[in-house]
Amino acid sequence: MLKRQLITALLLLAFMAGCRAVDQPPGNPPGEGEQEGRLRTVSLQLNWFPEAEHGGYYAALLSGYYEEEGLKVEILPGGPGAGVIQKTAEQKVTFAVANADQVLLGREQQAEVVALMAPLQSSPRCIMVHADSDIEDFSGLKGMTVAMGSGKAYAQFMEKQGLLEGVQVVAYSGSVARFLERKDFAQQGYVFSEPFVAQQQGVSTRNLMVSDLGFNPYTSILVTSNQQLEKDRDLVHRMVRASIRGWQQYLEDPAAVNEHLHSVNEQMSLEILDFGVEQLKPLCLPEGMPAGELGQMTAERWDTLAGQLRSIDLLGESVRASDAYYLGGLPAPQKD
Amino acid sequence: MSRPSHRFLRALLPPLVLLLLVLVAWQLVVMLLEIKPYLLPSPTAVVEAAIEHRAELFSAIWLTGRAAVLGLLISVLLGTTTALLFSQSRIVRRSFYPYAIALQTVPIVAIAPLIVNWFGEGFQSVVVVTVIISLFPVITNVTTGLTSIDEGLHDLFQLNHASRWQQLVKLRIPSAMPSLVTGARIAAGLAVVGAIVGEFFAGSLVQDRGLGYFVLSTVPNLQTDLLFGCVIAATLLGVVMFAAVSLAGRHLLGRWTAGMETH
Repeated sequence: MLKRQLITALLLLAFMAGCRAVDQPPGNPPGEGEQEGRLRTVSLQLNWFPEAEHGGYYAALLSGYYEEEGLKVEILPGGPGAGVIQKTAEQKVTFAVANADQVLLGREQQAEVVALMAPLQSSPRCIMVHADSDIEDFSGLKGMTVAMGSGKAYAQFMEKQGLLEGVQVVAYSGSVARFLERKDFAQQGYVFSEPFVAQQQGVSTRNLMVSDLGFNPYTSILVTSNQQLEKDRDLVHRMVRASIRGWQQYLEDPAAVNEHLHSVNEQMSLEILDFGVEQLKPLCLPEGMPAGELGQMTAERWDTLAGQLRSIDLLGESVRASDAYYLGGLPAPQKD
Repeated sequence: MSRPSHRFLRALLPPLVLLLLVLVAWQLVVMLLEIKPYLLPSPTAVVEAAIEHRAELFSAIWLTGRAAVLGLLISVLLGTTTALLFSQSRIVRRSFYPYAIALQTVPIVAIAPLIVNWFGEGFQSVVVVTVIISLFPVITNVTTGLTSIDEGLHDLFQLNHASRWQQLVKLRIPSAMPSLVTGARIAAGLAVVGAIVGEFFAGSLVQDRGLGYFVLSTVPNLQTDLLFGCVIAATLLGVVMFAAVSLAGRHLLGRWTAGMETH
């Protein structure tokens, strides 16, 4: 009997090894390194369905900035469970779009991904309340029902700050229906998305920005794997350069990109996309920041975020914030 | 060593040895192939994560377990009552049965937001989702048990001019007992699924965190090890409920079918 069980165990072992072999083709990800004309094919995995927060990357594609850098970029739409950090770490995609907190949380699980540039300096994350309620700030949420994504870092941060005491926090189903019905209901949102949907249904919102609490991860950042970065820095630099140009272009003249976004994701109307760009502008270029510095990241911001994630026990001591980003592709910040 | 405990050991030993071998193989594969924890954590990493979060996990099992047990009890009561009605009138059965089947095919994920709208966020909605998911096997099994009775016994009752009530209490219900137990056992496993799915949509995030919350929260935070911990916790909960129903069923069957040697 023992012999038979040993065989079973060995079979299982072989099966699992086989799984790994299939999951992880060694060497280059699909398309990577392929030559098409003189262009290098790389992939860019989005973290959600194409929307305004990806506009700059599409602008770089449509305006030919990627091509000018010798890149043929395939943009892969995401969605729930896109698993961008995992795919990037496994080098199934060359680049991806993610948020700063996810890069650190991924590194905590030994997913070696690194942030390259941050188009959104300020997080669009907000808690929206009815505009005609008397809630002006987070302390006013007491007694309300608030819908949030389960376990999200920002929610745990708010809880740690004591802002959720006396608040009934419920799971967010992705629909604003309950928010529309109830005045004593608040919910999470991205400032360029959910508030517009509510507005269209006739409910004006007041948006409490989570970034005002000091929890402000860079958003829609470009990431790649450490291996990719070490293998070909030049490729990474070209990708970052073109993406920054794309974002500058998108904020200036979004019309063509928005039409394209609408064509690849019909859920996104031109109206919501136009609204989205207007909301994005101050997030990408906060007051006083010249367009030439778009995409910049600082060590302080990453340290702050890492400290906040440690304070809510999502990040251990072994992860160094300085390993999570690479500033080499960014233009040198202009000195005053 | 007495014989029953010896037999018990013999039944338990092979699966335990297999479990140990699988765990060892799993650990070796993860270590030798250097699989990263976000893809597949090692058993020791899972245990570590579970121990680290033991307090939260236990209170989550307790909360989810209460919703599952309450949902199961409601399902058994509601399902049995429905089946009793079905057994008493062919026209009722024929009219309603298709809708009972439709209930099973309702995509719960699609209607969960509606349930939350109607019943409000929190425990009560979780229980409603649990009932919807676990009700069907009770209805079908008990209905079948009540309606498919031994023809000889049926004739005997008819010959003796037994009333409808006597037939129900002395013939149909006793012979439906094994089906009730079967239905309840299937429902027990489904109730755990129902409670977790219910918590995905209707659960509370800060005050009362069930297993559904933890399963979802591991995803954005890439805590695959904790996710495995949740899966194991949910499985244990299901096994315990299944065993409890089986045990209760055995006692029930012993009482109701005493003297009836038809099975």
